[in-house]
Formats: sequence, structure tokens, C-alpha cells
Amino acid sequence: MYCYRNVTEDLFWVGGNDRRLALFENIHPLYHGVSYNAYVLLDEKTVLIDTVDWAIGRQFVENVTAVLGGRPLDYLLINHVEPDHAAAIEEILLRWPKVKLITTPKAVILLNQFGFAIEPEQIEEVREGDTRCFGKHTVTFIEAPMVHWPEAMVTFDLTNGALFSADAFGSFRSLDGKLFADEFDFDREWIDDARRYYTNIVGKYGVPVQALLKKAAGIVNDIKFICPLHGPVWRKDFGYLLDKYQHWSTYEPEETGVMIVYASMYGGTERTAEVLAAKLAERGVLNTRMYDVSSTHVSYLISDLFKYSHLVLASVTYNLGIFPPMHNFLADMKALNLQNRTCAIIENGSWAIRSGTLMREELEKLKHMEVLDESVTLASSLRTQNLTDLDALADALAASVKKEG
Amino acid sequence: MNFQTTQAHEELRAKVRAFAEAEIKPQAFLMDKENIFPREAVKKMGEMGLMGIPYDAKYGGAGLDVLSYAIAVEELARVDGGTGVILSAHTSLGTFPIAQFGTEEQKQKYLIDLCTGKKIGAFGLTEPNAGSDAGGTETIAEDKGDHYLLNGNKIFITNGGEADTYVVFAVTTPGIGTRGISAFIVERGWEGFTFGEHYDKMGIRSSATCELIFNDVKVPKENLLGKEGQGFKIAMATLDGGRIGIAAQALGIAQGAYEAAVEQAKERIQFGRPIAVHQGVSFKIADMATKLRNARFLVYSAAELKQAHEPYGMESAMAKMYASDIALEVTNDALQIFGGSGFLKGMEVERFYRDAKITTIYEGTNEIQRVVIGSYILGKAAKDSAPAPVAKRGGETGERKKVIFKDGTAEEKVAALVEALKKEGFDFTVGIDMLTPITQAERVVSMGKGIGEQKNVALIEALAKAAGAALGSSRPVAETLKYVPIDRYVGMSGQKFRGNLYIACGISGALQHLKGIKDASYIVAINNDPNAKIFKNCDYGIVGDILEIAPLLTAALDTGEKKPAGEMVKMKRVVPKAKPAPRKLAVCLGCGFEYDPAKGDPDAEVKPGTAFRELPEGWVCPHCGEGKDKYIEITV
Repeated sequence: MYCYRNVTEDLFWVGGNDRRLALFENIHPLYHGVSYNAYVLLDEKTVLIDTVDWAIGRQFVENVTAVLGGRPLDYLLINHVEPDHAAAIEEILLRWPKVKLITTPKAVILLNQFGFAIEPEQIEEVREGDTRCFGKHTVTFIEAPMVHWPEAMVTFDLTNGALFSADAFGSFRSLDGKLFADEFDFDREWIDDARRYYTNIVGKYGVPVQALLKKAAGIVNDIKFICPLHGPVWRKDFGYLLDKYQHWSTYEPEETGVMIVYASMYGGTERTAEVLAAKLAERGVLNTRMYDVSSTHVSYLISDLFKYSHLVLASVTYNLGIFPPMHNFLADMKALNLQNRTCAIIENGSWAIRSGTLMREELEKLKHMEVLDESVTLASSLRTQNLTDLDALADALAASVKKEG
Repeated sequence: MNFQTTQAHEELRAKVRAFAEAEIKPQAFLMDKENIFPREAVKKMGEMGLMGIPYDAKYGGAGLDVLSYAIAVEELARVDGGTGVILSAHTSLGTFPIAQFGTEEQKQKYLIDLCTGKKIGAFGLTEPNAGSDAGGTETIAEDKGDHYLLNGNKIFITNGGEADTYVVFAVTTPGIGTRGISAFIVERGWEGFTFGEHYDKMGIRSSATCELIFNDVKVPKENLLGKEGQGFKIAMATLDGGRIGIAAQALGIAQGAYEAAVEQAKERIQFGRPIAVHQGVSFKIADMATKLRNARFLVYSAAELKQAHEPYGMESAMAKMYASDIALEVTNDALQIFGGSGFLKGMEVERFYRDAKITTIYEGTNEIQRVVIGSYILGKAAKDSAPAPVAKRGGETGERKKVIFKDGTAEEKVAALVEALKKEGFDFTVGIDMLTPITQAERVVSMGKGIGEQKNVALIEALAKAAGAALGSSRPVAETLKYVPIDRYVGMSGQKFRGNLYIACGISGALQHLKGIKDASYIVAINNDPNAKIFKNCDYGIVGDILEIAPLLTAALDTGEKKPAGEMVKMKRVVPKAKPAPRKLAVCLGCGFEYDPAKGDPDAEVKPGTAFRELPEGWVCPHCGEGKDKYIEITV
């Protein structure tokens, strides 16, 4: 049975939800599923805009067939060929063999690499600024290289103001019957998933995202719908969404607050992190979050780090180096281009304590990271003689938080 | 070809030698002993036309050849190595860049006075972190529209303090290595341009050598020498020629020592005969003479090549390297021939022996000369792992707060300082013994030469007592003035201060001293010179007379008998970090790769320091193969 929804006149959402997938991209855990969005435009010509992951292929085909209502499919417009959106292309080609593909030259190369059997005469390559008219609706194309793949583009319907934004403005989480962001309490239910999606998938590419936002600035007043490939469709509150993207893509924290991430083997470092958090609370710093790096998936740590202004890393020394899960967190920060945070360091070890020095080195490789001079070195556990240093660290963090807040 | 100088050359030699023997030689011992710069003699050299020998008569020069200049340096050095280098640094380093790269206006304004000896020239390239590697230059000239703002320090500058004009090298474009360096003509007396203390050198003590300190010095746009970014080229071209001067100086020193040794060998009787008849001595003299002849041909040949506008970079390097290497050997052998008497102060050979050493070091160490010669023969080795320019953090003592109290009355300044220190958590009701070893002291009050007479030591002792601190001093106060025992001096060699509070009274901030206090949690400076380097290396400072400030500060900190301080708790210093200078990167829209000019693209043989815009034609992204047009330049 089909399950589509009407976006606006002539435009239909034909995607679906996947709640069985454990790891998105086989790396990021999902607890509330994910939606794969695709859209059909019914004009004088019929246009399918992107496809879906093969996991929901059957639902997708039923939706497309139902919306077309017996009409042939004239065009398949592909904004992004990552297989969570392109996997169902093959099925579309089998069912509607006369369909023409509209996409970028680079997307064609990638489609061939992925092994889709596409005839060259089936393809219409488009570039930035090109337009296509399907009858009532005329669309234009804006290249969006490295948001977050090189072939990506976004498509703007000049007639109804719908922006098909590919992975930009997407989010984890299944739609569960709803479609529009204003059908949820987005800021309560969704923002954390949206942030975790953006920061881990697109986080590295702040510069290309900024470049796309600048290009889109020219049409921003004409945008009526933002139709991403994951998550809800936006038809209002664009300012809220764009503000989040502005922060994330310029690596500006959303909130002044302290994130404490500890790596502890036998509890010594963990207890120190607890004491620090308490000391911060006593100093009026209440917007704090604490995570055990060993039991928290790094995608959550990255996501929160894009949100908060301050980071405390507390790690035991392991094999003369940084505790591996902590090292992995630092490596991910570097991979995702994280920058512009104020950091503090607590190091521990029962002999040859090195993790602090090494973590500082890793942080200083990132851009615009301020590492506070105050730091705490523990030998195995927190003892009375360390309290002066811990207090100094709490004071420095509190002062820094106050300054930024 | 008969390898002979001309009659004119020999007439010039005779003239300079007569001058040197009459005017310099009688003073040489005293000048060496007392570090005296021969101002009168230099003035006379100007009048004799020696200060602009190889330059155009149109600009007041003598219009003679480079060889004549080399002979003049040689002859001066033959009696006094220091006077030799005064002429060499003036002519080759201070004057040449203006003569070669200056505009007509610059030549009119500066060159004429230099060539006629009305003014003395100097050259400022070397820095604490830029010796053989000029790429480490940290002195910076910021473009402020109608002028450049010059900040930084130059060390070991010959004629420093005595010279009137200085050709100074500074970074105008940071982050791109030597191609970001430019040259400027800077005049003595400009606001913010001061000199460090004269170095107490091993040799060439009649020449003046000191540090140049630039503190917000406004350099007019018209004093840029050559174009922006040409500084390194100008410096290297200058040093090529400068080597001839230093080679001639080494040659002269060796010649002087050799002549003294020959005379001694003939006069000194042992076993009933002059020692010269002994083969042990005569062989030495034969070797010395051979080496001198060798060196002389190398020096003169390099001078001739330069005069003829032939390539001479390799030959001048050979001349400098060889002449200075043999100067050490010849002066050593000469002293050996003198035996014990040569080991005594007052003997020329003793002075020559010390004077010679510098010639293997300056104007490019002899190791660098070998690098130069090797690269002429074998080509330049590709830099395979050139380090990225290091972002410097703070001064010699690291990042410091640099809160300087300079306005208001002395009382107000002292009150502000005391309040700041108490706010940092210092408790002046406790104290340590004044004689606590420097390395174990929690606090030190330290005195420099700025305190003046010995009777003022009492003021500093009183301050140390009031501050609950141990007593310390700069090196000259302990070593030269002997105001305090030698173990009170704070400096590099085993006498580092690692405690919480260091109060520097009348200390200017010599490099060695600063290195000795860089682990101090807080540094307080009191000095009447607002440009003193210590102020760039302190957390709090008072600009004022220590004799006035010390009693006030003593009164403010005095709490009577101090309670004994417990075990030292090291205070961690909190300093606002300087934001790193913005730098440019370029991001590939084909794959997200960031091109970093500091790293270059080694696989494509693009050297570190290559700006994105300067990447060669046809360069493509090393990871995805997109062209330069697919990159966005960003500033981070």
C-alpha cells in the first residue's frame, strides 16, 4: 500500500522511514530511525526528484506508482548519488526505461562507478544556472560541491519556491507519518538528531556549506519549501534553521557551556571529572554535560561539541599515550575540522603521565583552539594536594564561561 | 697574468699602513682592554677617503676598486682586528645595500654621508632565532599606510650604537619565509629605536657590538630599500660582498700575528741562538707564510671578480672561509712562538689570537660558507622536510601579561602594582630567607646595573626583606660590579629561577637573563627605560626610577617580621593568549582538501611557503585532481 504525502500543489513526498537500520553509514548509531525522502512533481512532464535507500525500495516504488497514477515517468532528477538516495535508481530504470536522467557531470561519473546501467543518451547533464521547464514549473540548478560529496547540487523550483536541498538541512530520525517540521516540536524532539546528522556527516565541510549559503542568499526570500533528503520538510521558521547552519558551518558554538569528557579505567579520572563538575556548579556554571568516552558513541560527543563553547578532556595515560577511545574522539575532531573552542585538560596515570601533554598537542593542531594554562595532573587518583590545581582549573573555566556568556 | 697588485694599490696600502701604525696601533691595547670605539681614528679615516673606497665619486666615494677596499681592511686589521671590522661592516654591509639597491633619493640622503665618512653605517639581519637561517626572522614591519611600524630585536650588530644608519631586515608578509622579508633604512635617534648594552666580547673589542631594539619605530615608506619581499635577496647579495671584507680582516689579523712572530723568532735567543734557526720554529713560519700567500690570492681574486662584475659568490665564500680558518692557525702558531710571554695581556699576539676567532663565525659561519661553496658546485639540495614556520608564543619568557604602570605618580604606580600582586594571590605576610638559593626560592628580588652605585644595594635588600624574597642579581652586578656574591646571579647556567614571583629592579633584560627566569610564574619589572626588553617579558611593570620606587614598594609590602613560608606551591600563570595571526588556506571543492601554504605540496615539488596564488601553472589538487579554479581561498 502506498504512503505518500502532498507537499504543495503538484508536489508529493514519496519517501519512507527505516527503523531497522542500526548504524547509519555503518558508523553512526540510530535509535529513532531515519527517513529517506524523494519527491514527485506532476507537471506536463512528470519528474521524480532523487530516490531512496534500497531498504525501503518497495514502499518507494508503490508511492511513486501511486502518485503517477498510470502516467509515464519522464524525468529522474538526481541531486546526490550517495547510495542512501541513489540505490533505487536501478528499479526506476527497469520500470520506466524511457526515463531521462537530469544530473551533474560528476554525478554521472559516480553513477557509473557504482555500476548503474545507464545509457549515455538517457542522460541530460546540467550545470550551475541551467534551467529546465516541465510545463508550469521551471527549475534551476545550483552546484553544491562538497556539501558533503563533490557531485552534489541543489534544485530550486522557480515556480513554487521549493528548494530540493539534497543532504543539506537533513536530519536523522523517522518521520512517523508527519512531514513538515512545523508538525513537530522540532527544537525539543529533533534538534539533537539534526545536529548529530549535520556535524558528523557534513561537519568537516563548513567552507563549502558557507559557499552554498552565500549562493543561496540571492533566492532566500523566494524559498517557500526546503525539501531535504532526510528529515522533515520546512515551510516556515527558516531563520531558526539557517541560524543553526550558520553556527555549525562557521564552527561557532550555539551555547556557552562546558562539556566534560573523561576516559577512566578504574574510576580515578571519572571521580575527578565529577568533582570538577561539582566545583563548576558551585561557581554557577550549570550548563554542563558529562560523558564517559568509553561508553558514548563518538558521534554524540562530536554533536555536543559543536553545540557547547567549552570542552574539558580528562584522560588516563594508556601505553604511554592517550586512552584509545579518547584518542579516537580527538581524531574525529580533527577529521571534522572542529575549531574555535576553549579547552581544559586533566591528565592521569600511575607512572609516566603523558596524556595531558599529548592531548594538548592534538588540540593545538586544530584551528583556533584555546587550551587553558590551568591543568590538573593526577597520579592515579585525586588527592588533597591536587585540589588547588582543580580549583584553579574550575576558576579559570568559570571565568572563561562568564566572559563568553 | 702576474698576480701582482698595481702601484696604486701599494701606494694606498702604504698610506693606510702609515695611518694605522701611527693612529691606531698605539691605542690598540687600551681599546681592547676598555672596549673603546676609536671615534677619532674613524673620523680621520673618513677625511682620508677610506670610508667609501669602492663607491662612485658622484656619491662622495673614492671611486676605487674592491681590491683597494680589501687592502684597506687588511691593513687596519693588521694592527687591530676591531678597527678592520668597523671599516668592513660600514663599507660592505652598511653602505653597499644603499649603493646597490637604493633609489636616487635614498642615495642622495644617505650614501653621500656614508661614503664621506660623515656617518657610519651598520646592517641588522641576525636575531635570536634567525642566525644562519634568515627565514626565522621575527622582526616585523607592519604596513600602516604612510609608514611601516617596526618591532623586534637584532643581535650582535657590528657598529651598533655608533652607526648613524642601519639597514634592517624585517618581515612584511608573515608565514611565507624568506620571501616575506623586506629591507629598510633606519636612522639612529628615531623614536622607539634603542640599543642594548654593548656585548663584552672575547675579541675585536674596539669595535662596537650591541643589540638593536625596535619598539613601534615608525619607518617612513620612502625608507623601504628595494621592493617589499626583496629583503632576503638584498641581504644575500650584501653578504656575498661582505665576505670579502671579513676575509681581508682575517688576512690582516693573521698578517699582523705572522710579522710579530717572525720578529720574535729572530730576537728570542735560546740555546745561544735565535729560536728561528730551529726547524720547529722555522717550519712553522714557512707554513704561516704559505697560508698567508694562499689566503691573500683568494681574497684579492674574489675582489677582482666582484670589481669585474663576474660571478664571485663562491669565490668570496672560499676566501672568507679559508682566510679565517688559517687566521686561527696562524695566530695560534704565532702565539706558540712567543711562548709564555705571548700568553700575557698587552702582547699583540694575545690580542690577535682572540680577534681571529670571530672571523670564522660572523658574516656566515665557515660551515655555512662550505654549504654555499658546495651548492655552487653541486646545486642546491631540495628541501625534503622543511619545517613549517613555527607560530611563536610570546617573548623569551613566554606569554606574559605585560601590564605596565607608567602613568601617574610613583605612589600611584606602586599602589597599583601591590594591588595587582595581591589579587594574583601573593601573601606578603610570609617570606623566605634572603639567602635561599635562587633555584629553590619561591620569590626573588633581583637587581641589575640600573640600580647604580653600590650603596643602593641596601635599598634592594630592604625590598627583598619586605617582599619576603631571596636576593638575586643580573650577571654583571655579580660578576663585574661584584655587589653580591656570584651565586646570587640569575641566568642560564644552573641558576634558573623557578618560583612564583620575580621582581627585576633596574634589569634591562639580557637574553641569558630572560632565559633564566622563563619558568617564573610572575615577573615584575621596574626600570626607568620604557623600551627595556624586560617590559616585553614581564607580567607587571613600573616605568620609573628604581631608587624612587624601591623604598615605596618596600613600605607597601612591609608587614614586619615575616611568618615562615611553608613548602612552595608553584603558582600557575594565567596569561591571555595572543590570537594566532590569520593565515590563508585554500579549500578544494572537489574533495575538501585544505591546501596549506606553510606545508606546500611536497609531491608536486611545491615548497613550503608557497602561497596558493603562486602555485605553478597546471598544479592540480594532490588528492582529487581538480584544478586551482575549484578551490576557495579562506582566511582562518
